[in-house]
Amino acid sequence: MEADRKLISDLTPEIERTSIKWYITFFILFAFFAVGVYGLYQQISKGHIVTGMRDNVVWGFYIVNFIFFMGLSYSGALISGVLHLFHTGWRKPIIRMAELITIISLIIGPFFIFFCIGRLDRLHFLFLYPRIQSPITWDVIAIITDLAGCFLYLYLSFIEDFAILRDYPDLKVAPWKKKLYKTLSLGFTGTEQQHKILSNARMVMAAMVIAIAIIVYSVLAWIFGVTLQPGWHSTIFGPYFVIAAVFSGTGLLIILMWIFRKIYHLEEYITQRHFVNVGVLLTVIAAFYGYFTFSDYLTKWYGSIKMDSILIDKLFTDYYSLFIFANYIGILLPCIIIAFPKFRTIPNITIAAIIAVTALWVNRYIIVIPTLETPFLPIQDTRPDWITYSPTWVEWSLTLAGVSVFAMLFMLVSKIAPIISISEMQEKDKNEILK
Amino acid sequence: MIKKIIYTILVLSVLPFFTAGTFAQEVTKISPYITLQYLKNTDNQRILQTTLTYSKNRIEIPLSGMEIFLFTGTDKKEKIASVVTDSKGIAKFKLTGDSKLISDKNGAWAFSSEYKGNDTIAAGTSEIIIKDVNLEMLLTLVDSIKTITVKATVMENGKEKPVTGEVVKIYVPRMFSLLPIGELTLNDAGEASIEFPSDLPGDKEGNVTLIAKFEENPTFGNVEKRETLKWGLTTDYSVPTSHRALWTKTAPKWMIYTLSVLLTGVWGHYLFALISLIRIKMDAKRKAKEEYRI
Amino acid sequence: MKDEAENLNDGSSRRNFLKKVGVGVGAISVAGIAGSSLLKGNEAKAKSGNLVKLLSPEGKLVEVDQDDIQSAKDIQPAKNETVEEHKLEARAGLPNRKFAMVIDLARCKNARKCVEACQEGHLLPKDHEWMRLYLLQDDNTTAKYWFPRPCFHCDKPMCVSVCPVGATYKRPDGIVLIDNQRCIGCKFCMTGCPFSARVFNWKDPEVKVPEGHVYDPETNIPATEGTVGKCVFCADKLRLGELPRCVTACPMGVIYFGDILEDTVTNGNETERFSKLMLDRAGYRYREELGTLPSVYYLPPTQRMFPVESGLEDADKSIKDRYKNIGPR
Repeated sequence: MEADRKLISDLTPEIERTSIKWYITFFILFAFFAVGVYGLYQQISKGHIVTGMRDNVVWGFYIVNFIFFMGLSYSGALISGVLHLFHTGWRKPIIRMAELITIISLIIGPFFIFFCIGRLDRLHFLFLYPRIQSPITWDVIAIITDLAGCFLYLYLSFIEDFAILRDYPDLKVAPWKKKLYKTLSLGFTGTEQQHKILSNARMVMAAMVIAIAIIVYSVLAWIFGVTLQPGWHSTIFGPYFVIAAVFSGTGLLIILMWIFRKIYHLEEYITQRHFVNVGVLLTVIAAFYGYFTFSDYLTKWYGSIKMDSILIDKLFTDYYSLFIFANYIGILLPCIIIAFPKFRTIPNITIAAIIAVTALWVNRYIIVIPTLETPFLPIQDTRPDWITYSPTWVEWSLTLAGVSVFAMLFMLVSKIAPIISISEMQEKDKNEILK
Repeated sequence: MIKKIIYTILVLSVLPFFTAGTFAQEVTKISPYITLQYLKNTDNQRILQTTLTYSKNRIEIPLSGMEIFLFTGTDKKEKIASVVTDSKGIAKFKLTGDSKLISDKNGAWAFSSEYKGNDTIAAGTSEIIIKDVNLEMLLTLVDSIKTITVKATVMENGKEKPVTGEVVKIYVPRMFSLLPIGELTLNDAGEASIEFPSDLPGDKEGNVTLIAKFEENPTFGNVEKRETLKWGLTTDYSVPTSHRALWTKTAPKWMIYTLSVLLTGVWGHYLFALISLIRIKMDAKRKAKEEYRI
Repeated sequence: MKDEAENLNDGSSRRNFLKKVGVGVGAISVAGIAGSSLLKGNEAKAKSGNLVKLLSPEGKLVEVDQDDIQSAKDIQPAKNETVEEHKLEARAGLPNRKFAMVIDLARCKNARKCVEACQEGHLLPKDHEWMRLYLLQDDNTTAKYWFPRPCFHCDKPMCVSVCPVGATYKRPDGIVLIDNQRCIGCKFCMTGCPFSARVFNWKDPEVKVPEGHVYDPETNIPATEGTVGKCVFCADKLRLGELPRCVTACPMGVIYFGDILEDTVTNGNETERFSKLMLDRAGYRYREELGTLPSVYYLPPTQRMFPVESGLEDADKSIKDRYKNIGPR
């Protein structure tokens, strides 16, 4: 497949050679990962007592991370899927990143569930003795379906790029990489027939990815929503979690756009316009997210059902700073930054995104933990770690390990395939040339 | 003289060592608590039940595997049997026709149970005096009301004499205990009646067992009469099989249908995408062959 | 009857004869009956108070009252069954029963004997309480009361609905059990239960299991690391026709237990009709509005036997401190 030399030379340098900086960064991330593995070893050998979870707060950091990482996977569904269906032009440089975020966070998320499970040696029971009535079974089915679908979708978008790389004679890469491109490109030669088949398949998968993503996240929300616990038994949880996920996915996309733009000098391809467009998307979603949050808490507070009142009291006393950060600052700041044209610079928008993503993690935390600390029957105990939840170094280290693995996987993928889709950019170029 | 004194002193000083046994401290033995009860059941079988326990920290601990002797008579005792207590400290013996019971001048029997004791447990005895009573229970419908009538008589000098003023208790046996229905005091004719509750559940067919008994009566011991009849409400034990709910083994039908439809739909589309991949590969192969030929 | 056993002239085998008189084979060891063991029949139709025909190893037919046939250990009768058989029995439950418990709040004074008996009987580590005592006060204007809380064995159990592998199940006689060999430790059931009835084994509980013990969900011994535990209404005792351990241990007779299909509950000393108790004492269920339909009923703390404070007098400091900051719930 023919390709513009300039495009390739701009977008492939990381495939050809690896800088020292890459190795150092990778090594540091790997160190975090190793600490996390040690923490996991401690947990498996000594039991879950090394975490902060106890009989009342039985779900802690691990579940929060699980929901958070699953939420990040929404970037692929929204940016890539929705924008693909609407044939939006400006999406092209960023769709690859979005799809990669999806796949990588879908791979990492379930691991946090595994950390939370007391008997890892019996994990296969989920497949041997499944109960359809349990939301966890729905979740298992949904995540597997989502992984398969997103993987298929990602692969479909890679085919053309692999074909380009395969045909590019000056590509200075190791022979195994060349062989990889050859196999994975399925002999794609860019004929009209092949383009048609590919584009149809991608259209179908884009629609599926959106649908499946909504189902997965709703199922995740219902794990909490169908229980009777105060704070969880809310009818709004399904849509609420979906919106929050889109919010976090979009925020992460902006962050990654900024990182890769800086590292791989892609200023020409990822421009201010892209940041502003995704930033506006972030603002709109933030508004929806704020609306849902407000609606949820307003009805709880106004209705004065005793357990809801106790929970809200707890949120505004013990968890005050976290609550304000997650539900006020996390929503308002990004909106303000992006709503005013004066503030819409690339660094500002990135900062807004960082705040948004962190606020969302905190939001998950204050959804999960305060409810578990206020059960119907009051906790009457003397042990402080049974009354309130305080995460231990094991949980912190595994959280950091999860983030590290996320970054590491990204770094590894960038060594095999370009972070920006060459074929998409090429199409765009062709259109501009034709004009 | 001095020799004699020394000799006496020597003997006296050595003596304690030989008589150490007799001067040794008496080991305080556990004093047991022994009871004796008499039961005459509905088949007119007479059973003696004796229990052997001891009290420690206000908890009663049974003594099992102990041999207890049962006697009849007061002044002149005759051994009836020897029984061994079980893990709950209870031992029972059924009196048969062969057991020769000694009755006193009132026609009452005296029974005693005796534990001989061992190295650690002291001996103990318990005595009761029982008069044989004939208890009858009649279950009739009086003005369509289910009525239980009890009648008790004793044989005195060959004549039947009614029992008056004693308490007869009515029970229905349940899984863990006896459910009290009422307490009757026998009138001068030795009779009493009580209404049976019309709303008491029975088994599948409405069977209930009724027990009329003298309960630990000082004169008569325990005497009971049982009868089973269909005076209870029928109980429906049926548990709906293949019951579908959230908490049962089989899920509600709509759940299964929804899940199947969704999964088939989604994975069907995946299949379509996979087929597209295969078609691309096929097309590329075909193209390559064509180019090769050219 | 003894004569019948010895004059077996009709040529039928001993087993047929045993079947005719309703005696099966199984083995139970009875302490104290010097060396010999009385066989307990699986088909023996015995109600407490009735005499049961048993076959002694010497081949003599003896009649013993049901109460005499007891297992030596309180914990597990030697059933000589495999784990699979135990599990099947545990899932099937006792036929034609529906168990319920009634707790009289007017009598409870935090003696904690129920907690101790439960922990002893199920070999629980000291920090596991399947029966838990709360000091509740619904509002600052209402009275405090002691609240013993076992598992409620709900008729619409949330915990069962959310279990992804079917490790916890509700059986026809109303009891909800946990199969600790199937539990994966996801703790969804713990978040599903609104009554905080379940405990988790966060570490190896390090309990010594009696030798030869075969796992049975009805006793749920031993607690296994990484799995969930809860009150089982002493299903193992019910199978022997005995009351649960907390019922017999309570010095005040607070806890009544029984089969509500028989409309009878008993605390070991007093036996009452369940419907009458509910009617006379205005029995209720905790948080009825949650709709889980518990099998444990409460009798309101009216005309108390003891003042609430008496429950704190003899208690350990570590227990007293639990109730320092109670607020309305």
